[in-house]
Order: sequence, then C-alpha cells, then structure tokens
Amino acid sequence: MTDFRALVSLLVKSSVEFIIVGGAAATAHGSARLTEDLDVVYSRNEENICRLVQALAPYDPYLRDAPPNLPFSWNAQTIRSGLNFTLITSLGALDLWGEIVGGGNYEDLLRHSIPIQLFGVECRCLSLEQLIKVKRAAGRPKDLETIAELEAIQEEQNHVDR
Amino acid sequence: MIELASELDVMNRLQKKPSPDPLIEAYKRDVDRTLIRENLRLSVEERFEKLMRLQEFAQELRRAGKQQGRRP
Repeated sequence: MTDFRALVSLLVKSSVEFIIVGGAAATAHGSARLTEDLDVVYSRNEENICRLVQALAPYDPYLRDAPPNLPFSWNAQTIRSGLNFTLITSLGALDLWGEIVGGGNYEDLLRHSIPIQLFGVECRCLSLEQLIKVKRAAGRPKDLETIAELEAIQEEQNHVDR
Repeated sequence: MIELASELDVMNRLQKKPSPDPLIEAYKRDVDRTLIRENLRLSVEERFEKLMRLQEFAQELRRAGKQQGRRP
C-alpha cells in the first residue's frame, strides 16, 4: 500500500520541486478511481536531483517489478542518466517522471499546475484541464474511462459553479 | 493485427479529436456521477484518505482471493 501522506510530506519537507500528476492528481480533483501509486513530475535541475536522492535514500528505492540484485544504485548519477523511474520504496509505489507525453517537463507544467493543501503541507498538482489534455495526448485506450470521468468531473464542477 | 489497428485508431482519435468526442461521450454515460459529487463535497485531503482506505480494502480482497485459491 502506498502511504501518500508520508511520501508527499517527505518530498515537500525535503524541498523537492515536483508536481502531482496521473491517478493521484485525478484523486485530488475528485476521481473515484483507485490508484495505487504516486506519480510526480520532478524538476531535473541539479539541486533538485540531489534533494530527491537524499529524501528517498532512507526508504530503499528500487525499480518496481525488476528482478532483485540488479546493479541499481539510488544516487544522483542514476537520476541524471535516466529520466523516468517507476520505483517501489518502503513508503509505497512512486513514479518519477522527468517529462510526460503532451505536457513536457516540470518547468513546462508549472504554469498548468495549482497549489493544493494536503496532509498539512502545500504542494502542486496538475490542473484538471491539463490532466485531461495529457491523458488525451497519451492516447492510450486504457485511458478512455479515465478521460470520461475527468470530463464528467469538469462538468460537475461547472454545474456547482453556476 | 486487428487489435493493433484498433489501438492506433483510438490513439489517433484521442490526440486529434477535440471534446466532445462521441467515443468519450459514450464512456461518460457509464461514469457514476453520484461518486464524483460525493468526492467534490470532500476536501482534497479527505479524498486521499478515502483513496488510502480503498487501497487497504483492495489489498484485503486480494489477500482473501489468494487464500481462497489455495484451498483444496
């Protein structure tokens, strides 16, 4: 089980620059669908990579579903050499995205994100409008139901706002 | 081959077609809006707390299913 509270608090308290995307962002906007991991787009500037590495190091990050004993080391060089990482940690499943299809990187997405109060800290989450855009851009058949639900949320919000 | 063609068709459709897309509209008919309305009344934090309870429930169901599968 993923401890969203612990993961979000850890990243914020470690001053990691990140934006919540994917299923967790959908939850923040009101989705009723079950998601089991925390997806975040992280800034790839050098300082942020170092903060990310330090923050997660005590929680044994490892590649999810990978065979044990792979030569995987959790350090800044590993992050620099890669881009996207699907990890399992002792706090749960965490997906780190350097960029996402249809949305770009952290800096591109920042203006499409909104601040949210979560577990006593403030963090950033992709806006509902942009979340729909990136899901559409990904173009995966498995996202059809998700897009339908996100658009329904948008309609319900507009209905409440009227 | 047919499956691949239909997946590509969905990808092209999603990427090019602006909303309202008849395909998405069709999926929308099956969305349970009562759950959405209930969630919209909650704070963001309460939505995550609910998600974590749902995760626990899913985990428990998987455990029970696995145990059942082991029974002779």
